Amino acid sequence: VKTGRTQAPPQAARFRRRLLAATMLLLCALTAAAFLVVRRGIARGEAQALEREFAAVLDRLQAVRQMRRAALVERARALAGKARIHAAIEDGALDLLYPSALDELRDAVAPPRIADPAAAAGALRARFYRFLDRDGSVIPPPGGEAAAGALPPELEARLALPGVSQHVQTGYIAGARSGAGVSEVFATPILSTETGEPIAALVLGFEPPRLVSERSGLVAGIRVGDTLVIPGLDPAATAQLLALLPDDDARSGGAAAGARRFETGLDGASWLVFTQPLNPGSLYPPAHEVCLFPLAAMQARQRRAGLQIVGAGAGLLALGFLGSHRLAARFSRPVATLELESHEQRVQRRRAEAELEATSAELERAARFSADASHQLKTPVTVLRAGLEEILARGAVPTHEAEEIAALIHQTYRLSSVIEDLLLLSRVDAGHLRVAADEVDLALLIASSLDDLDASPDELGLEVTADVPPALRISGERRYVALILQNLLENARKYNLPGGRIRIAASEAAGRVHLTVGNTALRPIPPESQPHIFERFHRAAMGENIPGYGIGLNLARELARLHGGDLRLLRSDADWTEFEVSFRSYPATRPHP
Amino acid sequence: MIPRLHFLGAMVAAFCVSGSVAAAEPAVIEGRVTLPAGREAPVLNQRYEIVSKGGVVAPNPPVAVVFLAGDFPAAEAQPVARMLQKDLAFEPRILPVRVGTKVEFPNLDPTYHNVFSYSKPKRFDLGRYRADEEPVPYQIFDTPGLVTLRCDIHEHMRAVILVLETPHFVVTDTDGRFQLTGIAPGAYTLKAWISSASTLERAVELADGARLEVNLE
Repeated sequence: VKTGRTQAPPQAARFRRRLLAATMLLLCALTAAAFLVVRRGIARGEAQALEREFAAVLDRLQAVRQMRRAALVERARALAGKARIHAAIEDGALDLLYPSALDELRDAVAPPRIADPAAAAGALRARFYRFLDRDGSVIPPPGGEAAAGALPPELEARLALPGVSQHVQTGYIAGARSGAGVSEVFATPILSTETGEPIAALVLGFEPPRLVSERSGLVAGIRVGDTLVIPGLDPAATAQLLALLPDDDARSGGAAAGARRFETGLDGASWLVFTQPLNPGSLYPPAHEVCLFPLAAMQARQRRAGLQIVGAGAGLLALGFLGSHRLAARFSRPVATLELESHEQRVQRRRAEAELEATSAELERAARFSADASHQLKTPVTVLRAGLEEILARGAVPTHEAEEIAALIHQTYRLSSVIEDLLLLSRVDAGHLRVAADEVDLALLIASSLDDLDASPDELGLEVTADVPPALRISGERRYVALILQNLLENARKYNLPGGRIRIAASEAAGRVHLTVGNTALRPIPPESQPHIFERFHRAAMGENIPGYGIGLNLARELARLHGGDLRLLRSDADWTEFEVSFRSYPATRPHP
Repeated sequence: MIPRLHFLGAMVAAFCVSGSVAAAEPAVIEGRVTLPAGREAPVLNQRYEIVSKGGVVAPNPPVAVVFLAGDFPAAEAQPVARMLQKDLAFEPRILPVRVGTKVEFPNLDPTYHNVFSYSKPKRFDLGRYRADEEPVPYQIFDTPGLVTLRCDIHEHMRAVILVLETPHFVVTDTDGRFQLTGIAPGAYTLKAWISSASTLERAVELADGARLEVNLE
């Protein structure tokens, strides 16, 4: 029942479907897990890259700011040490302060002498300068502000300090109307040359640096109080951002409010906002640097990476599906074969079982029939023989008729014997025959069998030799062993040559007794018939004229087997045919098989 | 330095005395001014002698300028004094002069100096000049008061010129000792300028050829 590979049996198909589903499920789960892991990894990597870039840009800006501050402070210090400025302050000549400073600061203040924010852009030149007296109050510039740079009065007032400090104070001032933007001011103390005490301060106001990183798009601005100035950001967005910034304007909170960062949407784009104090610890109001770092590029990169992963995942999944399909097919093939085989085996077994059942029933029927038939036959034969013997006994029949009647009686005996054999066989077949394990003296039995053989009418003139040890005991039932012997000797006599030989030999070895019966044969048993000579009702094509029904050898073998032995043909060639029968020695050392 | 000042003061005094009071025997005032404790200046600042602290100018270590206030006839000739710039410092650190004195400022250093003053009694700026500048830059001090001298190039250089309306003045030594000689008899006020914020004074009567011991504290 060979089936093609395409038509898998239903169970194999089911197995294959399940295997495929399981593999796909596993694959999907793995792909999903991998997707998540990779995505998270990429997100983390992006975040780290952003962090690095952000930190690098910020560091660069900080470095620029600090270098600038250092340069400006150094410059302011140099100015604050000028003799004329000291002279003006210390020698009671405040009227000469600004004019002297103008000479000294000529190269420090934006040209022309009137500070022009546009011209000062990006330069290290001051927009304005003012002096503070010992108490930190602004010393107003005399004769107009042309010399010291224009500054609205309300902003000028904001330059004042609660007192002049030993250290440079950094401040950021912005007017309520922030049109002028924010000014970065450094209040540099003017120290007494002799005592080192601050005697005044020089405040230089600069335009704050425009810190913009072209590559990353970072823009930095300044927030002081309610004023936020970020270059390039429109007023609406600026106001929006200002509202988002933490409200740490209070002087007390200035120190506590450190660097902060958060993400926000502004102007339709995402930004990372970073804010940190610009002048912690200063006597001026706290100001904060506010950096805007655009996240758009990173988000775009992340989206692109996400798409790539999804694509790769889909490809992988497709590949995986294909692979799992193949795999399922590959794995289900042996299952299909197995199922096919098991199917065939099942069918065969069922058939065999049915056959066995039929056979057994038939056998039983046959055995019953044989038994019944034998019984039914035995009686009429006995009646027939008795009748014939009575006729003969009356003596009322002529002599030639009496001879015929005697022959008939002899035939009835043969008939009885055959019926006996059949009866016995039927009992063997039905499994009803039990063989006893008595002690049987084989030598004695052989001797008596030979006597019987001698007694039989023999016109062949056979020479019989026996080579049997005197005490040879076997385990079995005497009458059946005798029957076996009788059958073998009968055959040896029947198929012998005129003046032929019969040779009986017996030996014991390893708990078994082997008895061979050989004879010169009229004709050898043809090799093709040799396997069948023990079959019931088989008569080799040798002696149609020889009486028999093909029961003898069959019965002898059955009986030998019932005795735990066997009967087989040793040889059968041109001049010699020899059978061997084996028995168990007595006492039996092995249980009944 | 101090002996030289004494010498200079004596010279000026002698000049005045010989010019105005010929017959009378000149009197002498000697004494000691109690000076304030000197500032423990850092080593780096040891060379600075004129200190402005809290708007008060004082010499360090402390010395005083002792002078005699009174009515004196005008000087017959214009007195001349010199304020040197030597070894990146003014020499002397404190220079008392009579009103109308011409003070010359020779530069003895191999570098530029730029002497100027923003003080109210005398504002001037000599500009930059070197040792070979001819004529030697000078200023005439005709307003009494304290003039602080600075150098625009060397910010640490500091000196004061005390412009007085008297020909009798002298700078004490660091112990506060002084001697004024050649003084015409009469009633005066003896003053000791200690700093721009502190001047001690005491009235004195001088007889002919008197030798007066006065301590100011």
